[in-house]
Amino acid sequence: MLNILVCVKQIPDVDLVKMDPETGNLIRTGVPTLTNPLDLNALEAAVQVKERYGGEITLITMGPPMAEETLRECLAVGGDDAILITGRPFGGADTLSTSYSIVMAADMKGKFDLIFCGKETMDGATGQMASQLAERFDASQISCCFTVDEIADGKVRATRTLETGKEVVEATMPCLITVEKDNFYGRLPNLKAYLDSKTAPITTYTENDIDGLDLRLIGVPGSGTIVPKIYPPELPEPGQIIRTGSPKTDVSRLLELLAEKGSI
Amino acid sequence: MQKSDYRNMWVYIEHDGKTAAPVGLELCCELRKLCDITGDKLYAVILDDLANGEIDKVKDCGVDGVIYVRGTGYEYFNTDAYANAFTVLSRKYNPSAIFVGGTINGRDFAPRFAVQLNTGCTSDAMELEYDPETGDIQFIEPAVGGKIMAVITVPELRPQVGTIRPGTFKYAPAGRRDEIEEIFEEISFDPDKIRCRHIDFIPDDMDPELDIANADCVVCVGNGLKDSEHLERYRTLAKLLGGKIGCTRPLYDRGILPYKLQIGQSGVMVKTKLYLSFGVSGAVNHTAGVEADVFVAVDKNPDAQIFNYCDYGIVGDMDEVCDEMIEQLRARGA
Repeated sequence: MLNILVCVKQIPDVDLVKMDPETGNLIRTGVPTLTNPLDLNALEAAVQVKERYGGEITLITMGPPMAEETLRECLAVGGDDAILITGRPFGGADTLSTSYSIVMAADMKGKFDLIFCGKETMDGATGQMASQLAERFDASQISCCFTVDEIADGKVRATRTLETGKEVVEATMPCLITVEKDNFYGRLPNLKAYLDSKTAPITTYTENDIDGLDLRLIGVPGSGTIVPKIYPPELPEPGQIIRTGSPKTDVSRLLELLAEKGSI
Repeated sequence: MQKSDYRNMWVYIEHDGKTAAPVGLELCCELRKLCDITGDKLYAVILDDLANGEIDKVKDCGVDGVIYVRGTGYEYFNTDAYANAFTVLSRKYNPSAIFVGGTINGRDFAPRFAVQLNTGCTSDAMELEYDPETGDIQFIEPAVGGKIMAVITVPELRPQVGTIRPGTFKYAPAGRRDEIEEIFEEISFDPDKIRCRHIDFIPDDMDPELDIANADCVVCVGNGLKDSEHLERYRTLAKLLGGKIGCTRPLYDRGILPYKLQIGQSGVMVKTKLYLSFGVSGAVNHTAGVEADVFVAVDKNPDAQIFNYCDYGIVGDMDEVCDEMIEQLRARGA
């Protein structure tokens, strides 16, 4: 039986995050959250593997207590078990320290044969977490996985998407896989799984619950990068807006201008 | 060691033996400028054999040195051997920064050696600046869906690791230095210990409609598109203009168009004569991927950021404007 871990993240809806022009801080209060879409593709890949080979899927996330919502959403789709890492000292972490916290917490549950991750999150979008988790799990890694072709004899054969083609690779387990979404569109939960997920137990770990956790390596102290400053992008001066009164005349004017420029 | 003891900047030259990927050369060109400010030396790092003509191209980008790594384990890209090479080299030479092209494989192994070296890693910077007070590189990149620019630094640890997307910086060789230091290193990785190994490569079929990087005209459709049924008119318009269709990330995310048509920092960088955007909001991540002689924007939101990037803009319903363009172009005999 395969022991499978799926890493998920609850993120703010980036379309609705605004920046306070006075303070330069991001306003997240009241901004709706969602499960990072690519993480749902990773979960789908894990569920497909479980259906084919058998196994148990553990979900793991780190975030504020409300990140539990994301775990329940994923439990409804196919997770068997869920871990939430939460606590102030974990806050403000970059990928170097987040990957440490996640691996330390996952180790509490046991050893995993396969770890699935989304390729990146829509909020941070570094795309670094998976490789860093793989290193800390001491696992092989298959990034941009297009299809999981076969799992046998402790090995995973898979096809990766590269810039100019597909690469077939074979990796030993434990193996961390990030998926392309094309073959792993998420599924809707069935009613029973959905209802069960509402009351399913979730293992919650604070910084005090994880064996051997070095507090210097989590949160801000454990981070390699900082963000000393954010600012709105400098925008060029607006171009010429054509306002002639109707779409017909606007287009006609535009085509004249483009013809003058030799563009058409 | 103090962080000031770490000196010099490295660029990884990704290659397939015959050709160096353009991003490595682009990074050498950009970092030449940064090293002139910081006083660091710039080294290109080449794993395994690369054709001499290509090494010449690297040298022409103004590098102060080239580090050649030879040994077992590099025949095909694999995370284990490639990450190990940089960890071993970095521990020996203590560079201040290591830059890796943000290709799929570059993004695969760079964050991994950053953990091995216990240091900070950044991705997708669009500008690089130097803060002489702290001695840190400022990696400036769009964040939160392109709404803000974030300055990211590695304040204590070294080396500073950054992956940079292809096409972010220009290939403009500064010319060859009189003296180029050449360092030869033997670092072997036992091929039996490679945990994810290459079995086969199947090149994509070349579909000319998916090759938009240098199309004369690109019609880009954004998230304003209602659904895939509304897409056909944009194909028609592209055809009339002798161009090709492209899209922004949300359309790929919605499964309407393939990834190869996604224009922007995390997709294709396009260089075109005429660029027409329909229903595109104008996030920095997208506009960073567009170089156009003439840029036309159509969107219903008069405050859309896209109008800051256009030469000509029309505020209106994207479908209606597209239909009108088709009709008038046909009337003109296009």
